[in-house]
Amino acid sequence: MFEVRDSLKPQVGPLTRFSSRIRSGGHYYRRFAKFAILAGVLLLLLACSTGKQSTWDPVGPVAERQLLLFNVLLWVMVAVFIIVEGVLVYAAIRYRRRPGQELPNQTHGNMTLEITWTIIPTILIMALGIWSVITIYEFDEPPASADILHVNVTGHQWWFEFEYEDAGGGKRIVTANELRVPVDRAVRLTLESDDVLHSFWIPKLAGKIDVVPTRTNHLWFQADSDKIDSLPATFYGQCAEFCGIAHALMKFRVRVLSQEGYDAWVRNYGPPPANTEQAKQGQRVFGNCVMCHSIDGENDSQAQASRKQAFLSGGALVPAPNLTDLRTRESLAAGLLDLNKETLKRWVRNPEDVKPGNYMKSRAAHLYGTGELSLSDSDLDAVVAYLLNLQ
Amino acid sequence: MATITGVLARPTGYAGIWGWITTVDHKRIGVLYGVTAFIMLLIAGSEAGIMRAQLAQPDNTLVGPETFNRLFTMHATAMVFMVIMPLSASFFNFVVPLAIGARDVAFPRLNAFSYWVFLFGTLLMHVSFLVGQVPNAGWFSYANLTGTSYSPNAGLDFWALGLLILGISSVAAALNFLVTIVNMRCPGMTMMRMPVFIWMTLITSILLVLAFPVITVGLVELVMDRNFGTHFFDTAGGGDPILWQHLFWVFGHPEVYILILPPMGVVSEILPTFSRKPLFGYPVVVFSGIVIGFMSWAVWSHHMFTTGMGPTALTVFTITTMLIAVPTGVKIFNWIGTLWGGSVDLKTPMLFALGFISLFIIGGLSGVSHAVAPSDFQQQDTYYIVAHIHYVLFGGSIFGILAGIYYWFPKLTGRMLGEGLGKWNFWVTFVGMNLTFFPMHFVGLNGMPRRIYTYGEEFGWGLLNMLSSLGYVVLFIGMLLFVINLLNSLRNGRAAGHDPWDAPTLEWSISSPPPVYNFAEIPRVEGRDPYWTTKRRAEAEGQPLTAGEAHVDPDTIHMPSPSYWPVIIAAGITLIAAGLLTHYAVSFVGGIIAFLGTIGWSNEPASAPQSHH
Repeated sequence: MFEVRDSLKPQVGPLTRFSSRIRSGGHYYRRFAKFAILAGVLLLLLACSTGKQSTWDPVGPVAERQLLLFNVLLWVMVAVFIIVEGVLVYAAIRYRRRPGQELPNQTHGNMTLEITWTIIPTILIMALGIWSVITIYEFDEPPASADILHVNVTGHQWWFEFEYEDAGGGKRIVTANELRVPVDRAVRLTLESDDVLHSFWIPKLAGKIDVVPTRTNHLWFQADSDKIDSLPATFYGQCAEFCGIAHALMKFRVRVLSQEGYDAWVRNYGPPPANTEQAKQGQRVFGNCVMCHSIDGENDSQAQASRKQAFLSGGALVPAPNLTDLRTRESLAAGLLDLNKETLKRWVRNPEDVKPGNYMKSRAAHLYGTGELSLSDSDLDAVVAYLLNLQ
Repeated sequence: MATITGVLARPTGYAGIWGWITTVDHKRIGVLYGVTAFIMLLIAGSEAGIMRAQLAQPDNTLVGPETFNRLFTMHATAMVFMVIMPLSASFFNFVVPLAIGARDVAFPRLNAFSYWVFLFGTLLMHVSFLVGQVPNAGWFSYANLTGTSYSPNAGLDFWALGLLILGISSVAAALNFLVTIVNMRCPGMTMMRMPVFIWMTLITSILLVLAFPVITVGLVELVMDRNFGTHFFDTAGGGDPILWQHLFWVFGHPEVYILILPPMGVVSEILPTFSRKPLFGYPVVVFSGIVIGFMSWAVWSHHMFTTGMGPTALTVFTITTMLIAVPTGVKIFNWIGTLWGGSVDLKTPMLFALGFISLFIIGGLSGVSHAVAPSDFQQQDTYYIVAHIHYVLFGGSIFGILAGIYYWFPKLTGRMLGEGLGKWNFWVTFVGMNLTFFPMHFVGLNGMPRRIYTYGEEFGWGLLNMLSSLGYVVLFIGMLLFVINLLNSLRNGRAAGHDPWDAPTLEWSISSPPPVYNFAEIPRVEGRDPYWTTKRRAEAEGQPLTAGEAHVDPDTIHMPSPSYWPVIIAAGITLIAAGLLTHYAVSFVGGIIAFLGTIGWSNEPASAPQSHH
């Protein structure tokens, strides 16, 4: 591969002497081939891995069909790749110039051949195209027969808000960052953004849909019990449209519950009771937070709207996650931390340290004005206890 | 009027720095474009290096989110607008007049103007680093994140104004090449006898002239939103963020072909030369280029599949996007047809051209998988797309450009680039490129979104990211070998002679480097591959052939004279934009400079009366 013909051998300088050392070494070529095969095998092994957000491991009909479509395309691509790349490499080697070779036959083209290799890909593409279009329509909306759970999703910098207008029994629920759904039930999301573009993506359940201010988008998915080992199960999602400084940290989770588990969550949803001295102290301390965080569960869309207005006109307010059911969540800070006493304290003490760029520290000047949290240790413990008050 | 032009005595001569600043010679302007763009390639490539270092392992803290956002914004903006486009422009400049048998482009001063506007636009955007207010909303800068509520600092003003200026440069250059190709071909060179590179330049120029006005509208609206309180994209005032996406991608998709068609043209020149066989199916290659250019206007919304367009729009753009694979595939088959039965010489330009084809096949195929909307829902905005675009833009455009540099460097300088080092350059870059970008397909399918500065260990993306980062090191070494080869060959390269590759096109019939006037005697062509015809006829007649046998006295050739006005007007226009970032008085001064410059330009004859070439 590295043969340099005498006619083109460069003048000998230090660099060209160096480069001439690599000439005409068949073993370099073989070594490269070995390396390439090894790398290929390694990559294929990695490809089969099923990470937390892997698209190779769908647990519902939407993601499953998307994977099937991709897999078929993938194998068609692999076949085309092997054939075309094979012919290319074959031609480059087979027709290598031999010393003293005559001028090759000066062909200019071949109409039959050219028409053939236009028509074959066109047919292939159209066949795949028709199936793709069928899929687009088939999966645009959940099946008409399905008993659908409707959830409204609002994208915020940098967290997702979930509103169930009727979570069950007519109860309205507002929560954040953890979407709870019953297993084997179609869920239809209505998505809107409160500020900039975001994109809602839970790879194992469904491909993404952008969350756009001024527009309403829809996405549906379902988690199938026969593809989930045990309930409750957690699936991981992440904002996929660049949305500013904390975009990388805008995560969320979908928790698939048994019907009973879901019903229990709906039934118990409500403000935390302050039934110990410490929790009562915490409730008082939480008075510092209610400008942005709701804990009363219901009827906070008005509050969020006025927070938004205040934010846009430069006020020290911003729409923040509803904390009503915080104690029932497994994660904190848009899915960044597991929720427990220690992590919640760490977050309240310095949110910037966990999720750089978020608005909490800059908006709550009455708490962080000095750069440090101005609550006493006992107040901090109290508010954490209040928020995590399980009963 | 005469007093204004009289202020500046007409520059004469070609010597020294002023010779370069006032030059209107297309070959020198090509060099200016090439050198500037190559420096930008090194800068934007280093930005990528910092990002790869940050992403090499999970939870890394080398750079924070703000720095990372600035890096990916400037990396992509620079690579698209200040590297690949001007590198292509460098080839247009150097090759087009030579390959069509002309002495210069149609508007030599406009050509110089295009370069200076490009340089000043590039500098203006990079001044943002000096003032610490760097664009940070991505090269696509989706509204409404770009509004002042969410991006209060001046970074996005630098970005929008810089791109507006670069747009002026691109449109001026494109018009110039359009007119040059249509009007200045030598006798006998009909459209269907033009080298394919000239065809691709023509199609690219048409795309540029039509596409840039669209992004210009978007950018003007963005600047107005940010500076004068309009609400084109400001949702709080009833604006529509999706409008920006349409404007951006109606420009952006033709732009993709603006980036790839010129390298496709380069490859279409190199393959026949090194196979000693005419391009297989010339008309089909040309028409598929035209079809690609035409269809590039009908696929833009595949960048917006996830915006919630509804099934009808998804269907239309899925089908059009899948269909564009056909003319692209046809080009690849014809290139292979060119090799077939040829006498293939694997010199460095040919290696890079073959590298282009083999990597572009991968990029093209992965493109089909996100042409299909439901499949794309899982891939959009993930590293799978990052892999795809780097296969087409690095494996495609940059490999094609490197092939072109190896091919035309001897014509430009009269010296060969080192062949041994060239092969090292190719193989190291080829391996590095695949090691960097191939794993990204998988890390994307494993769920890693783009534009994230950090990721948790628990997602299992660490190993693949480490591979990509190691690949970057190999790639970096590969490019370093290129720089070494370039610098070394400039001084020590073997003398090239006028036709080192036994090439078929006109530029190889004159000396290397070519004289200022290119052709002493304007050639006359009778078919495609005119210089092969000439050489083979001479061979058959048993006569040796030498370069540039002139029957014309070069002293009688009048070439356009150097001029100060292009650089002056370019500076004036840049000052107008700079005023929006500083004080309107600066804009006012810039406006006056540009206005007076225009008057001076119009009163200056193309050639000074007493000048020779």
